Amino acid sequence: MPQLGSFAVLFALALSVYALFAGALALLRPDAAGERLGETARRAGVAIFFAVALAALCLVTAAFQNDFSLAYIYHHSNRDLPAPYKFAALWSGQEGSLLFWSLLLAAYGLVLRLRHNVDRRLFAYASVIIAAVQVFFLLLVNFAANPFAMMQGTLPADGAGLNPLLQYPEMVIHPPMLYLGYVGFTVPFAFALGALMMRYPGEKWIHVTRRWTMVTWGFLTCGIFLGAHWAYSVLGWGGYWAWDPVENASLMPWLTGTAFLHSVMMQEKRGMLKIWNMWLIFATFLLCIFGTFLTRSGLVSSVHAFAQSSIGNWFVAMLALTFAVCVAAFVKNRSHLQSENRLESLISRESSFLFNNLLFVVACFTVLWGTLFPVLSEWVQGHKVTVGPPFFNRVNIPVALLLLLLTAVGPLLAWRKTSFESLKRNFSIPALAAIAVAILLIAFGMRPWAEQSAFYSLMTICLSVMVTVTVFSEFVRGGRVIAGKTGKGLLAAMGRLAHNNTRRYGGYVVHFGVALVMIGLAGSAFNQDKEKEMGYGGKMEIGAYTLTCRSYTQDDKPNYRSEWAILDVTKNGKPLTTLYPERRFYKASQQMSTMPALRSTIQEDLYVVYEGVNEDNGRPIIRVHLNPLVMWIWIGWLTMVGGTALCMVPNAARVPLGAPAPARATVAAEAGD
Amino acid sequence: MIIFAACAMFTLAALVYIFWVPVQLEASEEKTRLAYLRERKDVVYENLRDLNFEYKAGKFPETDYQEMKTALETEAAGILAEIADLEEQEDTFHSAPAPRRRGSANS
Amino acid sequence: MANSRKLVFRRAAQIGLLCVAIFAFLGAGDENARFNDLGHRMMCVCGCNQILLECNHVGCNYSDHMREELIAAINHGDNDDLVLQAFIQKYGTTVLAAPTSKGFNRVAWTMPYAVLVLGLGVVTMIVRAWGRKAVALREAAGPTDPAMEPFRDQAQRETEL
Repeated sequence: MPQLGSFAVLFALALSVYALFAGALALLRPDAAGERLGETARRAGVAIFFAVALAALCLVTAAFQNDFSLAYIYHHSNRDLPAPYKFAALWSGQEGSLLFWSLLLAAYGLVLRLRHNVDRRLFAYASVIIAAVQVFFLLLVNFAANPFAMMQGTLPADGAGLNPLLQYPEMVIHPPMLYLGYVGFTVPFAFALGALMMRYPGEKWIHVTRRWTMVTWGFLTCGIFLGAHWAYSVLGWGGYWAWDPVENASLMPWLTGTAFLHSVMMQEKRGMLKIWNMWLIFATFLLCIFGTFLTRSGLVSSVHAFAQSSIGNWFVAMLALTFAVCVAAFVKNRSHLQSENRLESLISRESSFLFNNLLFVVACFTVLWGTLFPVLSEWVQGHKVTVGPPFFNRVNIPVALLLLLLTAVGPLLAWRKTSFESLKRNFSIPALAAIAVAILLIAFGMRPWAEQSAFYSLMTICLSVMVTVTVFSEFVRGGRVIAGKTGKGLLAAMGRLAHNNTRRYGGYVVHFGVALVMIGLAGSAFNQDKEKEMGYGGKMEIGAYTLTCRSYTQDDKPNYRSEWAILDVTKNGKPLTTLYPERRFYKASQQMSTMPALRSTIQEDLYVVYEGVNEDNGRPIIRVHLNPLVMWIWIGWLTMVGGTALCMVPNAARVPLGAPAPARATVAAEAGD
Repeated sequence: MIIFAACAMFTLAALVYIFWVPVQLEASEEKTRLAYLRERKDVVYENLRDLNFEYKAGKFPETDYQEMKTALETEAAGILAEIADLEEQEDTFHSAPAPRRRGSANS
Repeated sequence: MANSRKLVFRRAAQIGLLCVAIFAFLGAGDENARFNDLGHRMMCVCGCNQILLECNHVGCNYSDHMREELIAAINHGDNDDLVLQAFIQKYGTTVLAAPTSKGFNRVAWTMPYAVLVLGLGVVTMIVRAWGRKAVALREAAGPTDPAMEPFRDQAQRETEL
């Protein structure tokens, strides 16, 4: 198996090199021979997928066969590891995850190359660019981080095991989601760069890549939220986001990617902002590579980064080369990127998109800046500093609030031009709703003037309400028009409306999801927690809850030993539930891990951690968090995913408009080029 | 030995697939101005439909609507004129009856 | 004074991540708040990358010890700066959870805002310039070409709802 795998990755590399060079050469020769060469390059591209898939299959088979002669399998698996985690071994380590990167890229490439009839020349360019990226990752897999490297010396009887933190169901799907997101941005990047290189007339490439970009964005969103949910459920510190460099690495391309999704609509609809969009997608791709680099190079310290290695130099070279190619293509073809339209009024939807983009980019810059400042500080001042959550929260919350405001206002503006009157007409209801909610919250005891976090929290909730009202008013308004025309009920009409323009109304659903997520985040201003040693019958109170310790127990499973507490929970004196916070000791890796117990409601989460035993008296220590509104984050996330899925649905066919005639021949117009 | 055979089989299959290209390939054409204009027309039409719809939904006052509509229709007219012109040239070039691209006349 | 103290205490109760075990050692609410505040401005140095008061490893070689030191320093009556300085002396500059606002570290804080302000300026300028250009174009366009009317009608007809 290992030999077959080694061969497959090497063969895949040869195929990618061929797809790159033959493909590039074919693009320079527009004759029949060039055409044939291009076709062989395309087919080589298709074959890459099968070669890389074979390699991945070999690695997974080795994991299931407990083949510890492979160093990678030894380090990331053991005999008693449950099957899903053995499968996940493919992406739980440095070498495997690079192979997995290649596999996903090859899969995207496969789909793209099979669909080449949409626009052969454009697809040929994109295919060559994807082959170039593929060459890079396969070079890494072959020569810098080979997953098929053999163990030296005597064969170990059992593997060193998978990091216990990763032994959690979400960890099986979180990395693939994130990678699908990272890798997926290669596709719009390749099309954008290809369109620029060939001076592709028009914006059809955006239309072609629209679904790719949205799918990719959806995967990245899922990856980020799954990561947050995993951190919340496993790491046991009661939070879901710590501004860790690895988290930041995934957030940065998400921010620029979101900006791109918005501003590219301006290019598609109005032929504007071409240069900006080009650089936005370049930046997004570079940030994906950069994020992969951050987690692997040891440049910044992080809990869940991969082991430090020399692989960083490869990434630096790749980043520099990609950047150079982007700049060269841009300089050579920048005359191609002239805008066709101009913004006409400061308040129109176009300018709101411009400000939206600015805020996304500033947020991304802040995250990048904060992540890299420790490195910069070391160069300038000679010592590292920590840039932790206080920094990111303070700097990014105002930006996020402004973005939320634009989310509420933007959809109400028209393309081209919006007068003050129409702004007033559209905006009064959402604004009144937000003010009403603010008054209500203050009446119920929120004190925004007492401290900054409460102020931010109130602002976030009000703006989220505004976004929600905007979204619903868009649905209702549109629904009424359809209902009036078709005689359907309002709900059915709204369904029809969404089906007529899935991208727009799917986008609104995503906005609604974002509002829900923001409300959930706002809840964190009111988190509480307590820690206590609890003997049998010990009691602890937090909020309206009382926890009583009924018992402690332990268990021994093949993969781990565990101990846990049995806690009876009452709320306002009424029995509610029993919680079992747990602590595990994984045998193969000799590491501890916590399994918090959670009682989640729409109002708040009761989050209980078994922290361990006080060594002096043998009494267990229990830590309890009361986190309001956390469930809103997960509901909002699912709503965002639903909205993205809706965007993917093809629009309903338009009702035919009779048979219009091309009124021609009477007019002679200039046929320019 | 089995592994060697598997590798060889895989390589052979891949090479046959890659280089066994049919002699006659569909030539990839450069995108024409006409194709580009038709795309543009679709986009401007979409914008106009959006505008009409949003107006009906009561999102902007009459004056705003008329102004934006006029601007978009002017843009559409320019594109339509150029399309008509190019189609005519194409027709004279082929000296054949005009291909019916968009239904028959009714106005 | 008493009022502000009450407010500070409420803050502690609301946001607070207060360790009950440590409560016993602490006196007034003011000190709790200071402990909470300072504890959130520092990191645990064990390598877990967590805020000092959020580090949850039982038996963490550092956090418990650091928390005790923090309590001792507060009880000793040291002011915030002095407490933080002592920690920096002992654990290095990385113990602070965010850059200070002195010297080069100020750049960390100002840069994002500078970029935001600069960006806002540039975007506003671009929008204004484009707006002027559009007005100029519209004025230069003059009356519409009558030859275009059929096409205009066609567009209108084909996009009616």
